[in-house]
Amino acid sequence: MSGVGSTQAAERRLSQLVTVLAFALPVIFVLVPLAIFLVYSFFSVDQGTIVHSPTLGNYVRFFTDPIFLPVFWNTIVLCVSVAVICILLAYPAAYFLTTLKGRWRYALLMLLLVPLLMSYVIKIYAIRSILGLNGFLNKALVALGILDQPSTLFVFNMNAILLTLSLLLIPFAILPIFLSLERIPQTLLRASDDLGASSLQTFLRITLPLSLPGVASAASFVFVLAIGDFLTPQMVGGISGFTFGRILYSQFGTAYNWPFGAALSVALAIVVIAAILIGERFGRSRGTSV
Amino acid sequence: MSALPRPSTIFLAAITSLVAVLLYSPLFVPIVSSFFIISHGNVDWSSPTLSTYVALAGNHDILAALRTTLIVGVCTVILSVVSGTLLALYYHGRRSGRSVLQFIIFLPFLMPPIISGLALLIFFREIGLERSLLTVVIGHTVFVLAIVYRTVLMRLQSMSRTLVEASYDLGATGWQTFWRVILPNLSSAMVGGAILAFALSFDETMITILVTGTQSTLPVRLWAMMRLGFSPDINALVALILMFTVLLCVLAARFLIPRQMATERN
Repeated sequence: MSGVGSTQAAERRLSQLVTVLAFALPVIFVLVPLAIFLVYSFFSVDQGTIVHSPTLGNYVRFFTDPIFLPVFWNTIVLCVSVAVICILLAYPAAYFLTTLKGRWRYALLMLLLVPLLMSYVIKIYAIRSILGLNGFLNKALVALGILDQPSTLFVFNMNAILLTLSLLLIPFAILPIFLSLERIPQTLLRASDDLGASSLQTFLRITLPLSLPGVASAASFVFVLAIGDFLTPQMVGGISGFTFGRILYSQFGTAYNWPFGAALSVALAIVVIAAILIGERFGRSRGTSV
Repeated sequence: MSALPRPSTIFLAAITSLVAVLLYSPLFVPIVSSFFIISHGNVDWSSPTLSTYVALAGNHDILAALRTTLIVGVCTVILSVVSGTLLALYYHGRRSGRSVLQFIIFLPFLMPPIISGLALLIFFREIGLERSLLTVVIGHTVFVLAIVYRTVLMRLQSMSRTLVEASYDLGATGWQTFWRVILPNLSSAMVGGAILAFALSFDETMITILVTGTQSTLPVRLWAMMRLGFSPDINALVALILMFTVLLCVLAARFLIPRQMATERN
């Protein structure tokens, strides 16, 4: 009997341990670092050492310095454009997938998602070599007679960042749009057909509105991933392609101003949270459960 | 979907092919260059070579980075699968506090990696933990935990409650039920989660750059090399990694999809 008792005691101790861990792990490794980070944004730096007394200086600097707000705004515009490009390409592709039958549908979906799992750094490098002066894009445009000579239009500037980020992030737009299109009940489309609507009318009045939640999630995914990226702008942006992520990253490297970097991160986090909330708000599917 | 008029189908197919080309062209470049010599943007198709692969075998710097990446990946997988499964078991069927803590677990996955990375960087500095492979492993684990947690939790939720009740009715203790009933049912979800966690860890770059010490993982090493341009043997490595990744995808699909389809059919 004492054997059973001690196993029960051991089980109880284990479950207590699990309870403690279940609360402690996320709090220690996620919440505490984020909290310290937030506190850091109110510190300042004096001659290379961090001054641990609270100040609003970093935020004042962010809003008053003529550099940061424009870059911040331009980066937001850039990332919205990336999201728009991704959706314009991903929507027709996702729609095409849903017109396919059974096995083919998922095989093709897989095919379009697999590039996600492949090395990010290598992809950036390869895209840069495609966009470059000697790259395949210039060669193709010259061969087609669109350009007289290779152009530097596509590398080391904002265009390059826009194109590269769009190429990298398309799969993130395909998946949510595909899922929302797939959830649309076939009966609705058939009913619309029976009532004499043309396929364009059916698309505009039934499919498109019902797939908008997927489009909203796709847009917020792509936007959040694009705005947090500091590798791509660093690699393909050159001197003119200066994004917020790069400025933020430089505060922890060359500029060495961690507290100011933390304040910039807070600004970034606010935009990201807003984007996620907007995506959530419009991404919640209404009426598809008919 | 209902039948579409022919021109629109052709239009959609054309866009889809364009997307596929756009997605695969960046992967195509290094693979082609691993077998052929490229100079000034022209591929010399006449002479296929394996010399890049031979050169790779002698590149100790890259091989060391690859080994570091594998070590980090394995440690991350072990830590994230153990803690992710524990958390899923704990929060499954429990309402109080679950949504808040679940949100905290998901934060590093939702937030841009630069924010998670910097927060951890400052955290490690505040607690006096030197940047090393340990900090990289912690960073990766925090990042992938949400995926493992969610994968396991979804399996738990689809698992019939009657299985556990039957086990207790037949006189099994909590331990026995856990080892003989719950764990075997979770195993494929855990393997699937482990593969996803490994794949994410293998390619994680942004958090790693911020929290790594002197030893760098492969993506960080590649990132450092990229400013100067790659030597041809990197292409060979990329081709090999791509093959390995595709293999991982197939494995992950094999472990994750059949079960879900089976549950859908029920």
